[in-house]
Amino acid sequence: MLGRGLKRKLSDYEENVAGLSSAFDSSRNLPYPLKRQLVLNMCLTKLQTYKMLVEPNLHRSVLIANTVRQIQEEMRQESSQPINVCTGITPSSHSYTGMESSGISLQLPSGISQQESNCCDLRSFPENTGLKLEDDRQDLKGAECVFGSFEISNSTSYLKDLAIDDIFEDIDTSMYDSDFCCPPLMPPRPPPICRTDLSELDHIMEILVGS
Amino acid sequence: MSEHLHPTDIISTVEFNHSGELLATGDKGGRVVIFQQEQENKTQSHSRGEYNVYSTFQSHEPEFDYLKSLEIEEKINKIRWLPQKNAAQFLLSTNDKTIKLWKISERDKRPEGYNLKEEDGRYRDPTTVTTLRVPVFRPMDLMVEASPRRIFANAHTYHINSISINSDYETYLSADDLRINLWHLEITDRSFNIVDIKPANMEELTEVITAAEFHPNSCNTFVYSSSKGTIRLCDMRASALCDRHSKLFEEPEDPSNRSFFSEIISSISDVKFSHSGRYMMTRDYLSVKIWDLNMENRPVETYQVHEYLRSKLCSLYENDCIFDKFECCWNGSDSIVMTGSYNNFFRMFDRNTKRDITLEASRENNKPRTVLKPRKVCASGKRKKDEISVDSLDFNKKILHTAWHPKENIIAVATTNNLYIFQDKMN
Repeated sequence: MLGRGLKRKLSDYEENVAGLSSAFDSSRNLPYPLKRQLVLNMCLTKLQTYKMLVEPNLHRSVLIANTVRQIQEEMRQESSQPINVCTGITPSSHSYTGMESSGISLQLPSGISQQESNCCDLRSFPENTGLKLEDDRQDLKGAECVFGSFEISNSTSYLKDLAIDDIFEDIDTSMYDSDFCCPPLMPPRPPPICRTDLSELDHIMEILVGS
Repeated sequence: MSEHLHPTDIISTVEFNHSGELLATGDKGGRVVIFQQEQENKTQSHSRGEYNVYSTFQSHEPEFDYLKSLEIEEKINKIRWLPQKNAAQFLLSTNDKTIKLWKISERDKRPEGYNLKEEDGRYRDPTTVTTLRVPVFRPMDLMVEASPRRIFANAHTYHINSISINSDYETYLSADDLRINLWHLEITDRSFNIVDIKPANMEELTEVITAAEFHPNSCNTFVYSSSKGTIRLCDMRASALCDRHSKLFEEPEDPSNRSFFSEIISSISDVKFSHSGRYMMTRDYLSVKIWDLNMENRPVETYQVHEYLRSKLCSLYENDCIFDKFECCWNGSDSIVMTGSYNNFFRMFDRNTKRDITLEASRENNKPRTVLKPRKVCASGKRKKDEISVDSLDFNKKILHTAWHPKENIIAVATTNNLYIFQDKMN
């Protein structure tokens, strides 16, 4: 059931998740990192689905996001690499901004394989690609669509490209790969804003100043 | 127990009034159906009166929020009765955004014999009136009318999960995911915010409010529960904004039960004070806990509702059942607590004898007016006769809403599409 197989389509992937969750429940022999990865994938899939809803359930989103954060924290501690700390942000901070600014996200050294970069996406979750709007704006933007600027980056590619066996492969290699865990110390910088956000910002500024 | 069955739309809330004579249900379609207990029949002294439909009305309609481009569901999340002050009954009903005060009144007489109107309502030509008469009230068939008396709107950005009427009977609270507001029943255009846990930066949000209730006797005290399994007791005399709790109730986690889903299953889905006001009960995914208000560090009693589900958490997470919000209730004397489960099972725990029972609300398995048979779920290993194995439980048949008559042993149990009313067999 869990053996290496062919690359499967998305619908097969979902069926596999259902099979995997019963395997999780019934098998005592599933290795812990595998179980953990399965749960993490399920969480991210759910959040991805919620992102597409007009009004995701805030209670569920918070619970799932906390679970993701917990798993990622555990994975990071296990990797036992020194955490790259930017000035003013501590690794033990529980806020999202704390996590994503700890040096793991966004700036991938070139040459990292697609597989590893997918894993990186999981670890850089949630990526702070959204606009940093003030609270009221976030409410207006339907931030019952959780956390305002809460996004999963490259999420569609993550789901389509990842085959079942790739998930398992990730556990052994990229998590412990020191190349991207410890990029050289960067001077403190504000979180990079994507191009799309810049143009959105411009657009909003235009409306505000009426130009 | 004898049973009375009422098919309805998907029931979303069930509540007895203070005397127990009336039972209100709210459904997904925004309707409220009120049942009334028949007056006791002197010849049939072996059973209490049955509940029959008394009034049905449309409480909430679906709305569209144009600003956020969102549809607001008409589903009734909660109903709470006011104590009766005069001939009419009053209840509060709420959907995700708006609370309404409804007046339910009876009309069993109507005026007849107007001079300027015909009996059918048409106006008479005044020039044709030759004699005058005094209109009199004549009996008519009982008509129950529901009219909205107050509409409390636009005070909640997030979804309302609780309403609770204060023991002063003048104010009430409404709670959404992040805020709790205090209202005066007479004033609809403003409310007072008493709890706000929204962080300045929404990305830092890790906890939401799941339920809130006023203390039954102290009009300054209320509690609210959270998604992290904590309960905070607040005293409104301490400060205007009750962001700092007076008491924090939290049980440290049992490390042997730790799993990826620990936080999710610790989320409290319901909190209810005992009638005495000395205890409160919380429901999380797998258990019911009784807390003594004087002891914050752990509950005084814990009852496992369906511990056999602990080994199935991943599957229950995958199909979202792990997020189901079960409610719980006390009996009138606070000696028994009740809550629902899956497969149309519901559970009762006797706090004195420490005995518990599992019953099933189902048409197929129970003939009307027969005593309910206790059920048992076999967690693993050999299944005895009449036991049900965990794997054959139907997780679509969930009992989320139950209510217990305030004085008698009559319970209302809502399955997805049916309301069951069970009564103790009187000997």
